[in-house]
Amino acid sequence: MSQVDLSGITKTFGAVEVIRGLDLQVADGSFCALLGPSGCGKSTLLRMIAGLETVTAGHIRIGDREVTQVEPAKRGVAMVFQNYALYPHLTVAQNICFSLSLAGVSRAQQKEHGDKVAKVLQLEALMDRRPAELSGGQRQRVAIGRALVRDPEVFLFDEPLSNLDALLRVQMRLELAKLHNDLKTTMIYVTHDQVEAMTLADKIVVLDKGKISQMGSPLDLYNAPANRFVASFIGSPAMNFLPAKLRWSAGTLQASFPNGASLAIPAPATPAFDGERAGEVGVRPEHMGLSDTGPIRGVALVVERLGNTSYIYLDSPVGPLICEADQAVGIQPGTSVGVTIDPAHCHIFGTDGAAWPVRA
Amino acid sequence: MTTAPSPARRRDIGGWVLTLLSAMAAILWFFPVYWAIVTSLRADDQTVTDFSLIPLNPTFGNFLYEFENSKLPIWYLNSTIVSVSITVVVVFMAACTGYAISQLKFPGRQVLWWTIMASFMVPVSALIVNHFIIIAGVGLLNSYMGIILPMLLSPVTVIVYKQFFDGLPREFREAAVMDGAGEFQLLFRVFLPMNWGVTTALAIITFITAWNAFLWPFLAAQDEKMMTVTVGITAVQDAFGVRYGRQLAGAVLAGLPVAVAYLLFQRRVTQAITLSAGIKG
Repeated sequence: MSQVDLSGITKTFGAVEVIRGLDLQVADGSFCALLGPSGCGKSTLLRMIAGLETVTAGHIRIGDREVTQVEPAKRGVAMVFQNYALYPHLTVAQNICFSLSLAGVSRAQQKEHGDKVAKVLQLEALMDRRPAELSGGQRQRVAIGRALVRDPEVFLFDEPLSNLDALLRVQMRLELAKLHNDLKTTMIYVTHDQVEAMTLADKIVVLDKGKISQMGSPLDLYNAPANRFVASFIGSPAMNFLPAKLRWSAGTLQASFPNGASLAIPAPATPAFDGERAGEVGVRPEHMGLSDTGPIRGVALVVERLGNTSYIYLDSPVGPLICEADQAVGIQPGTSVGVTIDPAHCHIFGTDGAAWPVRA
Repeated sequence: MTTAPSPARRRDIGGWVLTLLSAMAAILWFFPVYWAIVTSLRADDQTVTDFSLIPLNPTFGNFLYEFENSKLPIWYLNSTIVSVSITVVVVFMAACTGYAISQLKFPGRQVLWWTIMASFMVPVSALIVNHFIIIAGVGLLNSYMGIILPMLLSPVTVIVYKQFFDGLPREFREAAVMDGAGEFQLLFRVFLPMNWGVTTALAIITFITAWNAFLWPFLAAQDEKMMTVTVGITAVQDAFGVRYGRQLAGAVLAGLPVAVAYLLFQRRVTQAITLSAGIKG
C-alpha cells in the first residue's frame, strides 16, 4: 500500500501562508501531477511530502503510516531534483548506490542493485563516469536511478525535465511514462508545464495560491475546467476569453459580445440565474473557425504555421483571439478575417472566475 | 605622414612595460633570498670579503656545522610535529564549525558566527600576554601542547569553509538527507569530498603559517629541546661575533620545507589566498 493522504496541510513562512488547509489523496500506483504557476506552493507541497519541509498544520500519511514527523530517509519516498543534485565526486555507480552505501549494504549487494537499476535505465556503459562527463539526459537518468535503487513506495519528482532541451524533454517524458507503466509505483510529479502534466499524469492537481483549484483526469480538466484559472492554464495555446452579457432563455444561453454579435449556447433548461449578467465566454482555439460570415471580425497579427496546423493571432473588438486553422490557410498578417465559434464547446465563466455549467 | 599606434599595439607596449616592472619587482624581492643562499655557501672568512654573485669557493660547511653543532634535527622534528598537528586540528575544527554555522540551525548560531567574525579582528599579538599567562598557569610551557593550543585559533579558515558551504546548492544536502545521510556523513562524505581543493589549499596555507610562526613558539618554548626551527636558529650564538654564513645556513634550512611546499602546491596556495582574500581584505 502506498497511497498518499494529505489532510489539512498548511504551511506558513512567517506571515505568508503558502499552503492553506489542503486535502489530497493520491491513489496507490497512480501518477499525480501537481501543476501550477511559480509560487503556487506546488514544490513546497512536494517537499513537505518528502520531509524536507516541516508542516505547519495537518497530517501526511503514506500507505498506512503517519509520516508527518518522520525524517525524510524513513518515509519510504525518493525524490528526483530539478538540477539532479548528483554528487560530482562520485561515479554514476557510486551516485546510484550512495543510499545503500550509507545504509551499510555490502559492496557486492550494492553492485547487484546498481547493475539492476542501470539495466532498467540503460546506464550500464556509463557506470564509471562522473556526472560532469554525462549529458543532461544521462544525468537525469542517473538521478532517477538514485531514486529507483531505494525501491521507494512513492517517487517524488520536482520539475525534473525543466533543465533539458525541448527534444530531450519529450524523450525523457516518454521514458518516465514507460517507467511508471513498468513499476506501477505511486509517483507525484511537480511541474509548471501543462503538457508534461497532461501527457504523464492520470490525475492532475492544479494549484493556485496554495489551494487546490481543481483536480481530476487530464481530459476532465481540459474539457470541464472548474474556473477561469484552470481553463487558462490547461491547453496550449491558451483558451480565448470573450467578455459578454449573458441571458438564460429556454434551454440556451444568449451571449452578447461588445461588438454587438450574439451567440446561442446550449444550456440546461433550468436557468442558473434570472435576467442578464456579465461574464466571459471561453473558447479553445480549436473550437474557433475562420469564415467571412463569422460574427466576430479581427485582424491577423501573427500566423504560426506548425506544419500539421496553424495558429492565427487576431486583434478583434472583443479582445485578442487565437484561432486554430488548417495548415494550408493562406491568411497573411494584416488580413481582416471573420471568426466563428462552436457553441457546443463554449465555457462560461462568471465575474468571480467560476465556471457555470452550460452542458447538462 | 605619421599614424597613431593601433590599440592592439598599445596593449602590447603596455604589456611589455608591466612585465618589465613585474620582473624588476621580482628581482628586488628575491635578491635578499638569493644573497642569503649564496652567503650560506661561502666559507666563514669569505662572507665579508667575497661579494661575487656566484661564490668563488662554494662549501656546505655552514650547513654541516648547523647540523653537527646545533639541535637542528630536533627543531625540525618539533616544527613538523607542531605544524602537522596544527594543520590537522585547525582544518578539522574549521570544517566542522563552518559546516555547523552554514548548514545547521541551533540557538546561538548567529552569536557564534559574529564572535568568530569579531575574533579575527583582534591581532594575535594583542592576545599573546594572556596566552602566555594561561599556558604558564596550566604548566604547559615547553610542551608541544603549550605551543600548539593557542595557535589553533584560525577564524579565517572557519569563515572560508562557511562561505564554501553557503555556496553549495541546497539540493546536495537534501538529496543526501533523502539518501539517509547524517550530519557527519554529509560533511565528510558529500560536502568536503565535493571539493577537496578548498581543504587542500587551506591545509597548505595553515601548515606554512604554522611552520613560519615565530612569536608564540619563541615565548612558549624556552627549553632548547622544545624549540621549533624558526625559534631555534635565532638561538645559534657564537662567542666570536656574528657568523653570517652559519646564521644564513640556518635560515635557509628553516625556510626550505616551506619553499618546497610552496613550489609543489603553488596553485593551491594561490587558491587559498584567493579564497581568503575577500575576508582578509
